[in-house]
Amino acid sequence: MFSEKQPYILTNISLIGLLVIGLVLLSACEQQAAESYTIPKERSTVAKTSQSEEPKMQVLPGMQSFADSASGISYQTPDSWTEFPPSSIRKANFKIDNASGTAEVSVTVFPGDVGGTLANINRWRQQISLSPIDQASLKENITPIIISNHHGYFTKLEGNTESILGGILPFHGSTWFIKMQGDILVIEEEVDTFKSFLSSIRIDDNHH
Amino acid sequence: MHTLLKFFSSLRLTVVLLTLSLVLIFFGTLDQVEYGIWETQKRYFESFLVVWSYPLQAPAGASLQWLKIPLPGGYLLGGFLLINLLAAHATRFKLTWKKSGLFCIHFGLILLLISELLTDIVSEESQMAIDEGGQANYSETVLENELVFIDCSQSDLDTVHTIPTTLLEKGKRIAIPDSDLSVRAIQYYPNAKIARAPEASEASALNRTIANRGIVERIDLQVFEQPMDYSQDAINTATAFIEIFDASDTSLGIWLVSNVIDERFPPQTIQTKSKSLEIALRFKRTYHPFTVELLDFTHEKYPGTEIPYNFSSEVFVNDLNQNKKQKALIYMNHPLRYGGLTFYQASFANEDTTSILQVVKNPGWLLPYISVLLMGLGMCFQFGMHFIKFLRKAKH
Repeated sequence: MFSEKQPYILTNISLIGLLVIGLVLLSACEQQAAESYTIPKERSTVAKTSQSEEPKMQVLPGMQSFADSASGISYQTPDSWTEFPPSSIRKANFKIDNASGTAEVSVTVFPGDVGGTLANINRWRQQISLSPIDQASLKENITPIIISNHHGYFTKLEGNTESILGGILPFHGSTWFIKMQGDILVIEEEVDTFKSFLSSIRIDDNHH
Repeated sequence: MHTLLKFFSSLRLTVVLLTLSLVLIFFGTLDQVEYGIWETQKRYFESFLVVWSYPLQAPAGASLQWLKIPLPGGYLLGGFLLINLLAAHATRFKLTWKKSGLFCIHFGLILLLISELLTDIVSEESQMAIDEGGQANYSETVLENELVFIDCSQSDLDTVHTIPTTLLEKGKRIAIPDSDLSVRAIQYYPNAKIARAPEASEASALNRTIANRGIVERIDLQVFEQPMDYSQDAINTATAFIEIFDASDTSLGIWLVSNVIDERFPPQTIQTKSKSLEIALRFKRTYHPFTVELLDFTHEKYPGTEIPYNFSSEVFVNDLNQNKKQKALIYMNHPLRYGGLTFYQASFANEDTTSILQVVKNPGWLLPYISVLLMGLGMCFQFGMHFIKFLRKAKH
């Protein structure tokens, strides 16, 4: 059963053995490293696993309870919009789907000024792949508007494939955001409807 | 050298190693109750050494807490078994026609051990969630987290700098790749609960004073450390207080980041003299050079019941680099193989409008099939030969 000395095989075997030990050690040293890469701009069409797992996830109570405790809101829903029940931190949700394409309208409220008007306009611009603007050109991008008897801003941001109509309303220490985002043609058609929706909004006001 | 080779090639060692493997599997199975499948796999089979502790929930758990048993891990046993088999071939076995079946079986076994190691090292699993009509170019795993810094200053591209949270845990200063900034985790919690300050009253609430930038500037938040949840579908809320330093080593502030502070909230940003970066702690993402568009998700049920009969996702793969487009239907036991990845139908959400695909990267997936085939052939040959010998003897 035992064979004679096999020096060549032995050398080979010990080499393989070393290789195996090396592999095992390598796997032990396996460590993730920090890295950088570029990706195409994120689009909002990507669903998040976290959203689908929402019932199991912990929703940040601070933000949720703030949204829950924020003032009530009433409005007139335009005929062409389909309303969806409020979700997560959204106070109202609408969808527009017609021959020109689709768009979504959301109404949210956050404490404070959420970084200021410029930061918010730039955040929206990024979402439709527009480059950020500076404080000097902010004025050209917003027009004053009255929402629920308070001074707010209206903005129209036109991207290549998607556009945004937005209303920003600073309201007694918090900020309301009314945003319509969707295909450029729909947004173009909906400007007047969106403006009349903004003027129909009434936020419960206990401060006066 | 000779004694060493004799030791490694001995059949006794094989028996000891196989017995230890059985013991390891036994204790691993016991611990699976507490740690779940992923953590047990990591602790017991992807390690060199593991210490089993008497579980607190078991009978007389409190009084037997001192009972700890050190065991050799899967890598150690697998490695030794492999060396044992190779050494045995070098010293004891001679390739003859009679023994060729045995060689075939052993070669299959060697291949199986190597393929397991390869799977451990290089395979990756993640999930891709796509809304109907939407598309995705990345998949993510809720078992791992990463700290990301995103430079959104370009109009068509984002630059993402990532740091795995495994590096943060050690509390060391880490340079943010390709930038002049660095980061240090002041506190890292693998699982935590975040609450609004007035709601919380526990003593460990001092944590709220640590962060001074980002979301905490708007809401007063507190963080409470939680034990890791290892149950099957649990998602742990990885949370950290991180301090950022600029090129001149000046602190830019401390941010609170967590995988629950996600896309639903306004992004947190770091403003340096030259640029602005978004910062987030999120589930580890893997970006792919193609997008997967979900054309339609179907969830069929047996008529008149809620029992699922079939799930299927009709997808459209759009390869950005190769200008290639491909349509595919993914359903149970019918995955899509594309770009070295396998996409399985895993789950669905949002009232049947979101499909969740399991994305598996395993370059060595074919090796176990080959090794099992080799072992099967070897056995047929070896036993077949014995059988023929027996028949001949019976004739005489």
